[in-house]
Amino acid sequence: MTSDPAADKASPVIGSPARKRSLRGGGPLRGDDFLDLAGFTDASASAPGTMRPGALRGSARGRDLDSLAHTLFLRIYPVIAIVVLVTQVGIAWVNYTDSLRLYTERANLLVTLTAQAIARPGWSERPDVYTTQIQALTLDPAFRFVRAWNAEGGLVMSIGEMPSGRSIELIRASAAVTVAERAEPVGRLTLGLSTEALRSSAEKQALLAVGATLVLMLAFVLTLHANVRKHVLAPLKRLLLAMREVEHKRWSIVEFDGAVRASNEIDVISSAFNRMVEGLRAGDEAKQLLADLELAHAKLADANHQVMESIGYARRIQTSVLPDRMALAGAGLDVAVLWEPLHQVGGDYFWLERLGDVSIIVVADCTGHGVPGAFITLIVATALDRVLHERGLRSPAEILAALDEMVRAQLRQDGRGSDSDDGLDCGVCIWDPEARRLTFAGAGLSLTTVTDTGVSRIRGAKRGLGYPRHGSERFSTGNVTLDVTPGDTFYLMTDGVTDQMGIHGTQRQLLGHRGVADILLRTREEELGLQIGTLEAELAAYRGSEGRRDDMTLVAFRPTCRV
Amino acid sequence: MDRIQIPATPRSPEVDFDFAAGRFRLSGESYPEDAAAFFGPLLHALRTHLAASSSDPIVFEVALVYFNSSSAKGLMNLFMPLEDAAGEGRGVTIRWVYAEGDETIAEAGEDFASDFSHARFDLVETSRAGN
Repeated sequence: MTSDPAADKASPVIGSPARKRSLRGGGPLRGDDFLDLAGFTDASASAPGTMRPGALRGSARGRDLDSLAHTLFLRIYPVIAIVVLVTQVGIAWVNYTDSLRLYTERANLLVTLTAQAIARPGWSERPDVYTTQIQALTLDPAFRFVRAWNAEGGLVMSIGEMPSGRSIELIRASAAVTVAERAEPVGRLTLGLSTEALRSSAEKQALLAVGATLVLMLAFVLTLHANVRKHVLAPLKRLLLAMREVEHKRWSIVEFDGAVRASNEIDVISSAFNRMVEGLRAGDEAKQLLADLELAHAKLADANHQVMESIGYARRIQTSVLPDRMALAGAGLDVAVLWEPLHQVGGDYFWLERLGDVSIIVVADCTGHGVPGAFITLIVATALDRVLHERGLRSPAEILAALDEMVRAQLRQDGRGSDSDDGLDCGVCIWDPEARRLTFAGAGLSLTTVTDTGVSRIRGAKRGLGYPRHGSERFSTGNVTLDVTPGDTFYLMTDGVTDQMGIHGTQRQLLGHRGVADILLRTREEELGLQIGTLEAELAAYRGSEGRRDDMTLVAFRPTCRV
Repeated sequence: MDRIQIPATPRSPEVDFDFAAGRFRLSGESYPEDAAAFFGPLLHALRTHLAASSSDPIVFEVALVYFNSSSAKGLMNLFMPLEDAAGEGRGVTIRWVYAEGDETIAEAGEDFASDFSHARFDLVETSRAGN
């Protein structure tokens, strides 16, 4: 990880002017070191502590790159130099030998012509014949010497100095002086021409060759260096810098502007490199995102665990507020209870209690579910306790009215200003075993009865309890009293039981009271506990893949036969 | 006022309040976690429209297959200003659409209907096959 994540995200373009500043803010100024040194620097020398060992480190040194120019120079230049030299020397040699041959021919021609010009019997006795002729030979620019001998071998005339030994700078030509009437030559003529001019000309040519080679070398070095630097070294330098950045997960790409024009090969490599960097960057970002996601997930799981633990605790509290399900044992009633909040805790509440001679059965469905619903149930539980034990009410209708008043007072819905728009549906039954009479009153909740004659539903008041109202409007409803015959079964249920979304025929539709009543009627012979189990299973079957919509509570009770 | 169109979610209904045409519609299921937060803005928009606009007639269609008690409260709050507007002489029709055989929704519609005395409240049963 680097010290500045923002710098990691940026994609600095190596070689752009901005690159002159450090990419890493307060970090080591490695990038600057590098470029300030005109060529390349030794990375290990610039910041040994912050540089990880890496394959690119060595090759990022300028020496290695500059040696490319050296290598090219050393490999190519000698070949060119030798070729140039050999060519020049070859040309010089050909010129030289040609000139030498011409000189020799000239010497032979001159000496032969002169010998013929002076050839007559007794020529050597007549200086007027030969002096002019032989002296004319000195007019040749390359003339060195001439000697004339008579028939007896005596020196007749000598001009210039004749070197004693052989000399490479001298061409000798001899001709016999002959006359037609005599078989024997009547003399000999030897001419020496200097080849000094030839030699100096050859030397000049050699010097020219060497000079040309040197000039060529200079031009070659300069051209090579400029071109290698522009088309190879500079692009490579940028590429290497970018690679070093990438080595440190700073996603640099390479771009070439006007001053630096990469050769085609390097351009292709740079494009491939840029694509690779993009790929790496994307991969790195994905990895980072995944890590972030995992972290977030872990936090969520942790938070969820805490919430679930907390709600589990809340459930223990809520269940401890609910009555013992056997509370009415001995009161002449079979009772079965289904209490199934949607989320561990919920807004459904029930109460079972023997109050002297009578028993009370209450089912309430408070607004909301989960924790908010559970809060309201606690208010209802407290209010109900006060209604039953402080005020001693035993009439379901009065109990509902009192509950309404107390809940609204508690939630400050009675005109004092409140944010609460909450309330509850509630059904209350009072069972008098002596009279075998059941009294019911409901607020938004109905009593379902299954008797020999079928299912019926006694609907309570339409309005629920609580909820803010205008003025001093009070809740009021009446009691419904039922005479009970053995075998009659009664059900108080919240709308979570009937509001089961499922497929009815071809369309999605709620199961409804009718659907639930049908199940209860069909299973009326079952023992209550079993019947509730069957109902639960059938509800689940109707839902299929649909989720439950609400908390479910159902209290079933069936007066037992008189003992 | 701009038309309000909110697509349905698993927990909230599709909303189409076409103020210009005087047509309003809720359809789908309604049991948002916070019903007050969902219905509050709709109620506000409806009240603003009723206060601002002329006496153009209004047709308010509800075609829900499930709504929880908080949503029922939200619906009631929407219906109240409509009933008030009808009381002031505006033509208001509530169309309560339910599928054939869906007694729960039909019953809820009947309950709502009893609260209206000025607005026209139509219980509209759709056949199983259609709609």
